[in-house]
Amino acid sequence: MNANLANLKKTIGRLTLWQGVLLAVLAAGLYATVLRFAQGLGAATNLSDEFPWGLWIGFDVLVGVGLAAGGFVVAATVHVFRIERYESIARPAVLTAFLGYILVIVGLLFDLGLPYRIWHPLVMWNPHSVMFEVAWCVTLYTTVLALEFLPLVLERFRLAKPLKVLRAIYVPLVIVGVLLSTLHQSSLGSLYVIVPDKLYGLWYTPLLPVFFFLSAVAGGLAMTIFESFMSYRAFGKRLEHHLLAGIARVLVVVLAVYALIKFQDLAGRGSLHLVWTLTPESVLFWGEIGLGVLLPMVLFALPQVRASERGLFFGALLTVMGFIVNRLNVAVTGMTASSGVTYIPSWMEFAVTASIVGAGLLLFALAVKYLPIFPKEEMPPAGVDPVLLRRRPALSRGVLAALWVLMIIGIVGVAVSSPRHSEAPPAKAAVEPVAPAVEPSELRLPHPYTFPASGDSPGPVVFDHEVHAMAVDNQCRTCHASLFRLTEPGKPVSGKLTYEAIHEGPLCASCHNGQKAFAIDEDCANCHQQ
Amino acid sequence: MRPAKPAMLIDLTRCIGCEACVWACKESNGLPRETGVTKLSATTWSALERHEGIPVRRQCMHCLEPACASVCPVGALAKSPEGPVTYDADRCIGCRYCMVGCPFGVPKYEWESALPRVKKCLFCYQRQAEGRQPACAEACPTGATLFGDRDELLKEAERRMAAEPGRYVPRVYGQHEAGGTSMLYLSGVPFEKLGFKTELANESYPGMSWQILEKLPNVVSVGGVLLAGIWWITGRRDTLEQARRGEISLAEAMERKPPLVALKSNLKPDDRSQEL
Repeated sequence: MNANLANLKKTIGRLTLWQGVLLAVLAAGLYATVLRFAQGLGAATNLSDEFPWGLWIGFDVLVGVGLAAGGFVVAATVHVFRIERYESIARPAVLTAFLGYILVIVGLLFDLGLPYRIWHPLVMWNPHSVMFEVAWCVTLYTTVLALEFLPLVLERFRLAKPLKVLRAIYVPLVIVGVLLSTLHQSSLGSLYVIVPDKLYGLWYTPLLPVFFFLSAVAGGLAMTIFESFMSYRAFGKRLEHHLLAGIARVLVVVLAVYALIKFQDLAGRGSLHLVWTLTPESVLFWGEIGLGVLLPMVLFALPQVRASERGLFFGALLTVMGFIVNRLNVAVTGMTASSGVTYIPSWMEFAVTASIVGAGLLLFALAVKYLPIFPKEEMPPAGVDPVLLRRRPALSRGVLAALWVLMIIGIVGVAVSSPRHSEAPPAKAAVEPVAPAVEPSELRLPHPYTFPASGDSPGPVVFDHEVHAMAVDNQCRTCHASLFRLTEPGKPVSGKLTYEAIHEGPLCASCHNGQKAFAIDEDCANCHQQ
Repeated sequence: MRPAKPAMLIDLTRCIGCEACVWACKESNGLPRETGVTKLSATTWSALERHEGIPVRRQCMHCLEPACASVCPVGALAKSPEGPVTYDADRCIGCRYCMVGCPFGVPKYEWESALPRVKKCLFCYQRQAEGRQPACAEACPTGATLFGDRDELLKEAERRMAAEPGRYVPRVYGQHEAGGTSMLYLSGVPFEKLGFKTELANESYPGMSWQILEKLPNVVSVGGVLLAGIWWITGRRDTLEQARRGEISLAEAMERKPPLVALKSNLKPDDRSQEL
């Protein structure tokens, strides 16, 4: 017992802070997973009929696929354009892409109402559906990625024969992969082309597929830089600086083209004023474009930034964050105002998403450890601690903090003010409805209804619809639905039928007052059957 | 008996808010009776909202070109040739794109179920197949909901508006919205005051996606040729560069096919992996 306790203490003592966090996240994710599959989406998420797509589509799918785009961009660079010096990037990029797509599929299994039918689109076709196309492309491209990834495993186990086969089909495979990626990266944007009334004007445009494609290229490339630094910090393995600087130069062009088309499109659609109006949407738009596109573009354009490790790292981080904010803006922020509800993901949605990210990091770490992902010459000499990024300088910490503060302000702003578009003006004087004058032949009147007599009543009362409808010239609305609601047949009023309500109050006596119709106290036998 | 293009004319000026349509729908479709139903849900496919005291019927609009059916990746939602937009629960994967895509916000989801389905008004296609009218139209005591052929109902709507111009706003909601719907509304007050989405596009919503999707075969063929071409040209360039440097003879360079892949180490066991 004591020995066990000591062992446990030793184990806990050995955990680093981040390993502890990862364990806690995975435990929360496990709980959420059980609840989600046992009791349904309603029990685990804050999704609703008004807001059917949330964090899991916005982050796990849209962000996941986009950040994995480095795989096809680098594969095309190396194998089609034959820019050979980027060869060493191809491996980590393909690994990221492969893991990314696997995790996207896992995320999708959480979000689909009936996940065991995920294969249906492959058999039950609807070529008019963008999602049908995405389903096919993602399936095929994941297969392509598995084949592109396979050589690394085959190398590890020194299987020369299958490698030869793969080598023979590798270029066509890469070309097919590039085509499939182009299609579905852009098509994830096309998903939203059919919701012109729901997606906020800062993001809705028929050019959504173009923007999704360009931003995926930028996000995927930035991710390649980012993960090179992270893996250096964690494993002491990384890519050469001049390669990362080269990617940064490409990013300048991609980000500039993106920003140019974005503002041109906003101006062309007459939506530019939305950029300058202070709304939660415009704050998040600037978070995305200002901090995530324009700032890294300027930074990467400066040779001294590209020359510094820190500059490359933070430029890439800004680009990746800008990309994430963009996808969440399309999937969540931009859809909030029109939905009329406030959607804030439940803690379980966050837990599942965080668990998927955590699982991705774990798998990446395992792959780097056991497979030839990074070139060996980048391994630091034994005993040298990779100190880079251990201590963050004040400036970069400031940039990061500002980014997060802006994001939080924006998200809170959206949450607080979201239903403003559907805000109904305070009910003033109700619009007077025009009373219906219906052709008698169209009316289908209920049978006469007998109100049973209570204890001290002279007798039951039979109510005849035909007589009453004739008396008001078939204008049903004279009595319905103000005096008598017809929610349930035989129960004309929601409250209790009392002597006062009938004889003095708002019911029969409101017409049977001697002026509109005979007075109610004229003769009991007029109504009561004896 | 059966109209060529089944539709319903819903004259809000004749509606007395009796909710007979709501209960007839529930009874006909075996849905649970709940009280205080004022909006559509997975268990209420026909609802009666009240806007400024005026009762307003809501149910699936049964668009002539439905966005929900076009976005559904498995064709679970489909526009039947007879008119109703139907739902095949056995195909549905639960992606909920239909809920995102529908401009009228009609499809609802069984959020509390572990095996959820999409739910919405099916225009009583079963009853229609038997030559009967939808349950709600049959139940309506004032004729506010009228079932018939779309063209004839449009004529009837025009007739009513012409006969009593003061009674109606001059618009038939559903005639053009989202490319036209099977539900046609007449109202005495402007539609935007009754919770109707009055700024929807009049064009077909599926067309918005299709004008992108139809370009994909071109992207694939042009892109494929382009990429293969670039691969061939860059390979040729490298071979000629080798010849220029005298590494191979020019004759050899002319004969040589482009090298398959640029890098060697990625695809064959090299010294690096030997060390592992």
